[in-house]
Amino acid sequence: MSHVALAAIGIGPFDTDWLSAVLVLTTPLLLAGVGELISERAGVLNVGIEGFMLAGAFCSFFVAWKAHSLALGLLAGAGGGLLFAAVMAVLSVELRADQIVAGVGINLAVAGLTGYVFVEIFGNLPQVVLPSAGALRIPGLARIPDFGPALFDHNWTVYFAFLLVPICSFLLFRTKWGMAIRSVGELPIASDTVGISVRKVRWMSVLACGALTGFAGANLAVVQVGAFEQEMTAGRGFLALVAVIFGRWRPLGVLGACIALGGTEALELRLAAHHNVAAAVWGAATVIAAALAVYWVLRTRRGKSHGRSATVAALVAVAGVALTVVEPRVHLPNQFWISLPYLVALAVLAGAVTRGRMPDKLTQNYARGEG
Amino acid sequence: MIATLRARIVGSGVDLILSVAVALVALLIALLFVVVSGVSIPRGASAFVTGAFGSKLTIAGTLSKMVPLTLVALGWIVAFKAGRFHIGFPGQILVGALFVSVLALKVSLPIGIHLPLTVLAGVAGGAAFAGIAAWLWARHGVNEVLSTLLLNLVAAQLLAWWVRGPFHDSSSPSPLTPPLPSSARWPELLTHTPLHWDIVLVPVVTALVWLLLSRTPFGFRTRLVGAGEEIAWHAGISPTRVGMKAIVLSGALAGLAGSSLVLAAVAPAMAENVGATAGSSNYGFTGIAVALLARNSPLGVLPAALLFAALEQGGSVMEGTVGISSSLVDFIQGLMIVLVLAATTLLYFARRRAHSHRRGPQGSRRTAMAQTEISA
Repeated sequence: MSHVALAAIGIGPFDTDWLSAVLVLTTPLLLAGVGELISERAGVLNVGIEGFMLAGAFCSFFVAWKAHSLALGLLAGAGGGLLFAAVMAVLSVELRADQIVAGVGINLAVAGLTGYVFVEIFGNLPQVVLPSAGALRIPGLARIPDFGPALFDHNWTVYFAFLLVPICSFLLFRTKWGMAIRSVGELPIASDTVGISVRKVRWMSVLACGALTGFAGANLAVVQVGAFEQEMTAGRGFLALVAVIFGRWRPLGVLGACIALGGTEALELRLAAHHNVAAAVWGAATVIAAALAVYWVLRTRRGKSHGRSATVAALVAVAGVALTVVEPRVHLPNQFWISLPYLVALAVLAGAVTRGRMPDKLTQNYARGEG
Repeated sequence: MIATLRARIVGSGVDLILSVAVALVALLIALLFVVVSGVSIPRGASAFVTGAFGSKLTIAGTLSKMVPLTLVALGWIVAFKAGRFHIGFPGQILVGALFVSVLALKVSLPIGIHLPLTVLAGVAGGAAFAGIAAWLWARHGVNEVLSTLLLNLVAAQLLAWWVRGPFHDSSSPSPLTPPLPSSARWPELLTHTPLHWDIVLVPVVTALVWLLLSRTPFGFRTRLVGAGEEIAWHAGISPTRVGMKAIVLSGALAGLAGSSLVLAAVAPAMAENVGATAGSSNYGFTGIAVALLARNSPLGVLPAALLFAALEQGGSVMEGTVGISSSLVDFIQGLMIVLVLAATTLLYFARRRAHSHRRGPQGSRRTAMAQTEISA
């Protein structure tokens, strides 16, 4: 009944508006996720990524407001992230302090500092809203009916985030730098032996993570919202961390995880309007499960994986088909859909294959002569 | 014997000096910010002291904030001593609170039985939720930091649903549970103040955790595992079993903190943000800062928690009296974590340099922080 009514006014769970929202919401996650991926590959777990992002958001907003320039704002955002990444690098690489505790400390400090400075500067001003960032229509592609405007009419930072994935993949797996980064995360003593400076590589990786995450915050504040609020990142940094786990420490995996997380976020509002779980949602879940099943079956053929995960995914897909056809009158709460990616990430983490993929020396600091 | 005793006293003296120095430096930086805000130092300092200790009401506020800070800090210490780092306290607080709401609202008993049962439910909730992380770590080798990070996010959604769905007070438009009955709530210690009888948990649980860690076989095993899993393993102690127990116990303490946050709250109904501080942070995280400032000593938690509680209370009052954002408190607390980490490592380097001519380099992959812990 309500489903029909909603369809009549044009809010289905999936449409081109949703697609466009997915790209926008995925962008900050992807920027931060790729940054965190690089840092984790080098063996440094940045729990402070939430703080870097918030610092980036504030710096970009402040500079964009002062200098009347969005470009300078974005640059300042990367700089803000860089600054706190340097703190993290000093603590974890130079002082070999516990990475997790350092991250928790940085998160607290940045949340407090940005909140304080924001109130000091903007507390007595009327709400500052920046002019909206322009979109970059990709000629030709943007003229495709329906999908064109949804996919190819965005701010340039959106394309940049998606382009970053192949760039990062190339960097990590096809260059000497990437080799150095990965080796430092797997077996730093060996890297040290062949003359790679573990210190330098980890510093660079943490700084790269800071710059990208700060840029992600800048994208959020200056491009998406056009304003700053205290705590505006609202856990997006942690989501990027989740995406890295979910994506099994691989650029393409991180891309998939970020789209899944961004997609859920975009779906959230649309689903709240429905009383029942729409058939389209069951259908989408089915397609994802089926795709996973096929992927795992192919991997099993190549002898890379056990058949069990494929069987489970296939069963889920069958159940999904049944649910799509029957469309039972159940209402699953919003919060269930939001926490679904976290639960899947937990399951992924518990899988033996994933653990093999985790950088071996993640969270472990390296000291020469104590290896 | 006397030599080791002296070494221990000197060692803890250095620890004490380090903590006090860190706290002082952080407070000086805070004063700097106060000056930048255009408030004179005497005015800012007196506003803070009055805000934290100026009246019966503010003292009660400060003391009541000590409860969750102490309990979470003790939880961190128990896990830390076994070499397990987890950051699941916010989630364990929330699930503890969820269990509390079930027992408080669905059972009616006289206060003598209802309150202890409800508190125990909170403990059980925290322990059960930590149990998931402990099990994933022990059976599937999942890093407990990553799993608790995810579980925190799940718990936040769980509670958001809880107060809107099954336990929503239908007479209220906001996401709240019905008011919890007074038979399940801690009675007020000082009338019309936030101070409730749960403050007795602070000395009692601190003493229990101290006894447990320093005077029982379990505590010995825990410290041995924390000092080096290989040594413990050769001594016939299972690091996995001890680590699991430590994580679960740590979660139980966080769950206890959650029960206090609900049952000794000013408002009788439970909302979804149990554990959130007045600023923008969470007791589940600031409690870790307390433990670090206490240099992971259970007894040191008392003064550290008092300082943090005073910061929270004084900071939130200052916002009203002299107009300095209470976010400054979060910054100072985060700064203290960073400073303690840095100071601890520098101290470790200095100590190692002092000893290096007598002992050779110590082969260990543990963090510098853990190493000073073992030698202390």
